[in-house]
Amino acid sequence: MIIDAHGLRKTFTTRSRKGTQTVEAVRGVDLEVGKGEIFGVLGPNGAGKTTTIRMLATLITPDAGTATVAGHDLLKAPGAVRRNLGYVSQAGGVEESTTPRAQIIMAAKIHSVPDPAGATADVLARFDLTEIADRPGRTLSGGQKRRVAIALGLVHSPPLLFLDEPTTGLDPQNRANLWDRIRQLRELGTSVLLSTHYLDEADALCDRLVIVDHGLVVAEGTPGALKREVADDVVTLRLDEPDRAAETLKPYARETRVDDDVLRVYVDDGEHTLPTLLRALEEQRLALSSIALDRATLDDVFLAKTGRSLRDTGAAA
Amino acid sequence: MIRHTLLFLVYELRNTFRNPIWPLFGIVQPVVYLLLFGPLVAGAAGQPISAQLTSFAPGMLVITALFGAIGVGYGMLYELRSGVLERIAVSPAWRPSIVLGRTLRDGVVLMLQSVVVIVIALVMGMRASLPGLAIMVVLIAVTGLFSSGIGYGLALSLRDENGMAQIMQFFALPVMLLSGALLPMTLAPEWMRKVAVFNPMYHPVVAGRALFAGNLTDVSIPIAFAVMLVLATLTVTWSVRSLRRIAG
Ligand SMILES: Nc1ncnc2c1ncn2[C@@H]1O[C@H](COP(=O)(O)OP(=O)(O)OP(=O)(O)O)[C@@H](O)[C@H]1O
Ligand SMILES: [Mg+2]
Repeated sequence: MIIDAHGLRKTFTTRSRKGTQTVEAVRGVDLEVGKGEIFGVLGPNGAGKTTTIRMLATLITPDAGTATVAGHDLLKAPGAVRRNLGYVSQAGGVEESTTPRAQIIMAAKIHSVPDPAGATADVLARFDLTEIADRPGRTLSGGQKRRVAIALGLVHSPPLLFLDEPTTGLDPQNRANLWDRIRQLRELGTSVLLSTHYLDEADALCDRLVIVDHGLVVAEGTPGALKREVADDVVTLRLDEPDRAAETLKPYARETRVDDDVLRVYVDDGEHTLPTLLRALEEQRLALSSIALDRATLDDVFLAKTGRSLRDTGAAA
Repeated sequence: MIRHTLLFLVYELRNTFRNPIWPLFGIVQPVVYLLLFGPLVAGAAGQPISAQLTSFAPGMLVITALFGAIGVGYGMLYELRSGVLERIAVSPAWRPSIVLGRTLRDGVVLMLQSVVVIVIALVMGMRASLPGLAIMVVLIAVTGLFSSGIGYGLALSLRDENGMAQIMQFFALPVMLLSGALLPMTLAPEWMRKVAVFNPMYHPVVAGRALFAGNLTDVSIPIAFAVMLVLATLTVTWSVRSLRRIAG
């Protein structure tokens, strides 16, 4: 276990002219991340992802809870934790006026890497940054900056890397490219904890994940297992009387959900169940305006656990 | 500990020299005062400019140190926003070295700025004691640690450009006028002279005048060093402590 955290909590208090406000950003989070895993923290904006990662990275002291990170106690030995950590913040932390090479060499020196220039050249080559390594940070594209940010966190070859929303703001091609590079880390044995609000990212990249909402873990498991827990397939129907239709289809479904005029029917083996559903609707003279059959996604898991869609929070892909 | 402080100092110095916008910007104001205000003071006093500069130039060095705090504060806010500080904070670097390295850089930069301002004053005809000039550069460096401490402390505890700008705007002008940097406090009424003593920046200005004039045994010199060393220790400690709450 590279991260073993229990009951992490953090409440922020902000004072303004309107008075004191408290935000319970994280309300009791447990995380168990195995060595070599790519572990995801999926959740909408404000769910508490960054706060959780900052606590595990020794930047914020938790109000409650305990954690062992990379073999050391988070509260008793934060210095030892920091030595074994790579941390890439949501903001990135790439300097504008200095070159990537100078920044990475400096990071290597702070970590007492034996050959800072050599280690820097290696990590630059690994992330295809050699050509742009000697240009000021401000001239880099968003995708290049992201890669520099990750190289900055990896130059000392830490056993554990934190990536806070690594692909936010990147175009699809750059995202896929970055996913490949993160997968390569798994081959090198680096454990990765990454946060994201992209459903497809969590699904494609993570060995295991937790879904967080309002500072709580609402689900945990492998992407496949989480989805199977809900159903194999989702039939999405649009019709005038969704409630009556839901009642009609209930016997054939694992679960049904009604949102306005949309009815979602969760079924196993959707291809074979679909004709049955259509026949049942026909018998009850329920007129359809549209129908779709899809594989269940992590959004369906989120919906099942929270009653809201991650897409509706305006944060999804 | 010292290793990390030196690492940051060297790294930051290199960055500053690669892109010396702030340090150059920092000497524009004192140099403009030297060129366009110094002659007025000399004219009002009926003195030749070369004699007047000996008492006018020290104030310009103190102004450089005073306004340096603003640039320093904005630099820190930028590092806070861009995640640079957060990144460094999650490293084995000894935490105080992050601020100390930058503060020392500011001291070095200020010494170089002072040398430039002094050279310009000399070119304008200023006569001054050479050992006095050297001691003044050291005194200004200590003054710079004091004002950098304020800049970093404000940036790290307010974390807000507007709030920081308002506070600095509010204090900078009265502190400058009450330091006697522009017009000496000997021209001021009794009450102003009494208030000025409580203005930290008043002391290096008075000591600077004595140093430039070659009165190296003047009592104002040890007083200025003592005041500035104590205040610099306080503000630098404050700024290092403010770093603790960097992300929370
Ligand atoms: N320093 C702080 N002071 C006050 N409130 C904070 C602070 N940091 C975070 N919060 C609040 O805590 C909650 C969780 O924030 P957090 O940054 O952890 O969310 P997140 O899941 O990372 O969201 P996003 O996807 O937008 O990055 C939010 O309501 C946020 O406003
Ligand atoms: Mg976040």
